[in-house]
Amino acid sequence: MSLTIQGTIERKGFGPGTWALTSEDGKSYELHKAPEPLRKAGLRVKVDGQIREDVMTFAMIGPVLEVDRFEVLS
Amino acid sequence: MVVANWGCDWGIVMRKLLVLSLFLVGLMLALTTYPGLATRGTFETIVLDFRDDLAPAQIQEQVSAIAQQYSIDPRPNSIFSQQEHLYIAQGDAKILKQLRKSGLSQYTEAIEPNYIYHALLAPNDPDYSKQWNFRSINIEPAWDDTKGKGITVAVIDTGISLVPDLKDTAFVPGYDFVNDQVDAKDDNGHGTHVAGTIAQSTNNGYGVAGIAYEANLMPLKVLSASGGGTITDIAEAIRFAADQGADVINMSLGGGGASQVLEDAINYAYNKGVVLVGAAGNEGSNSASYPARYPHVISVSALDAAGEKAFYSNFGAGVDIAAPGGSLQDETSTGGILQNTIDPETGKPIFAAYQGTSMAAPHVAGVAALVKAAGIKDPESVFKVLQQAARPVKDDALNYFGAGHLDAGAAVKLALKGQITFRDFFQWLRDNGYLNPRFWIDGGVVALLPKIAMVLGSYLLAWFLRVYWPFSWNGFLAGGLVTGSTGLFFLRGVYLFDAPQWPFRVMGSSIAELGGAIQGSNVLNPLFASVLIPFLLVALLLGHSQWKWFAIGSSLGVAACLAVNAVTSPQVLWLGEGMGARIFLIVNALLCYGLAYLATKTEEQRV
Repeated sequence: MSLTIQGTIERKGFGPGTWALTSEDGKSYELHKAPEPLRKAGLRVKVDGQIREDVMTFAMIGPVLEVDRFEVLS
Repeated sequence: MVVANWGCDWGIVMRKLLVLSLFLVGLMLALTTYPGLATRGTFETIVLDFRDDLAPAQIQEQVSAIAQQYSIDPRPNSIFSQQEHLYIAQGDAKILKQLRKSGLSQYTEAIEPNYIYHALLAPNDPDYSKQWNFRSINIEPAWDDTKGKGITVAVIDTGISLVPDLKDTAFVPGYDFVNDQVDAKDDNGHGTHVAGTIAQSTNNGYGVAGIAYEANLMPLKVLSASGGGTITDIAEAIRFAADQGADVINMSLGGGGASQVLEDAINYAYNKGVVLVGAAGNEGSNSASYPARYPHVISVSALDAAGEKAFYSNFGAGVDIAAPGGSLQDETSTGGILQNTIDPETGKPIFAAYQGTSMAAPHVAGVAALVKAAGIKDPESVFKVLQQAARPVKDDALNYFGAGHLDAGAAVKLALKGQITFRDFFQWLRDNGYLNPRFWIDGGVVALLPKIAMVLGSYLLAWFLRVYWPFSWNGFLAGGLVTGSTGLFFLRGVYLFDAPQWPFRVMGSSIAELGGAIQGSNVLNPLFASVLIPFLLVALLLGHSQWKWFAIGSSLGVAACLAVNAVTSPQVLWLGEGMGARIFLIVNALLCYGLAYLATKTEEQRV
């Protein structure tokens, strides 16, 4: 399931921490193996990727988003 | 017909006797294994409580005599000991035994081990006080009964690293499904933290505590360093755990959709008797995530330190029970769950406070391990115990808490209910004022094995006789066997506070041991420990058709008692404890056997 999401990068405090993307409509996605440039809280980004239904995580904050392409907005 | 009925009646009597004996043996085993009494027995010094009516000079005389004879140096216990004449002396079990047998006993009220008592109120881990979560789940009463020994908890997570506060924790082999290797060490920190909540080394004077700290951990790595893993690896890890003997599986992970592969693995483990625990998820939304929402997984929502639902915790559909998950919303980390883990950046051990339903699930897994260790095995019953023991929350309209707040103490107590432990029996007697003055039981007073040997030996002797002179078993014979061999030996350890103990000692002694029963000596008196009393009994009772069997039984019982004593502790008054005593005991045992043989023979002739 491919999709494009625009939102803000957040560091969520579960376990030692996990990278999340909060969309503009307030939904949380967990970034699967977050690419290095996206590991910065507060970054506004546009991400193309897919939801990995076959992956589970300890953070359990929402759908797991595997990033295919991204664009840093600000 | 009549004969057949008799046989039948005696069959019932014998069966009842067998059940009674099994009960008594069970009780004695319980007594001897009761931790409060059995482990009490470490001492380095001996207490000598001299009689209050003795003059200081008399005491001094005795003290000097002991000092000389045993090369020990008795001294008053403290400056307050003069009035009670309380002395202590260095000594071990051997010296204690010698002192008790010596003439000293007539000058003393007591000669006893100066037991060292250890108070286990809270574990000595220095940061235990920061574990508000353990007070929340009422863990300490549970530890009175079990710490999870013999139970294996599989942690399906990012792996487990051997941080210092897992040093005393037992591990069983696991597997790393991410890198396909046997060593399942942690490269993230999450799994090690979760494992710490379940079984952090406790009472080791270091760090923090864990719930079932005597249980084994099985590390199963399915999540990579970045925190995700595939459903296939998780399903394989569940099957691995079930096949390798895990009793409980903790899954502090979730997400994704429904998966037949995963559900099949869960059912496989469940049907093998494994309790599966899952985290409800951290989306703050209604309904637990997978795999916690599967019917055979106990789904755990998270509480904060105030006992409210943690801000992130999922709730509603699928939530079975609530446990502390912590909350790190303020600047400090005091609201989190503190365990020893690794820093993912450096791999170095750290103590870290985490939050999440990931932290809540291992509380339930740890308590499930305690419940299993307390004897409840099948997963459905474990779940019922956890539910019933939970502290329910009123007006939980949105099902934040499922059955309520996890309660470890209540769960273990509930698990033990119905299974009679000695602790319950003891408490029951006391609580019900069954023996109104409070009483006390010394589990260590009777050496059990010789007693069993005596009872079995006397039955064996009776069986031998029966081969030659057939007779039917009856209650009188059985009563005689017990009276002659051991008496109601379990009564010897029973004390009523403020009442003399000798009646219990007398009832708890066999005929042969009666000589020493009143003054509480283990030394056999030859007047009793010989063929004399069996002979008198046979002479008096031989004419009676039923009591005769009691006399014959007694004679066989005494024979067994003397024979066992000849081997194990040949101490006979006036004869010492050497070969003379042994020969005396064996000769008398043979005489008793011969007496029983002759008495049975008269029966045969009459028939």
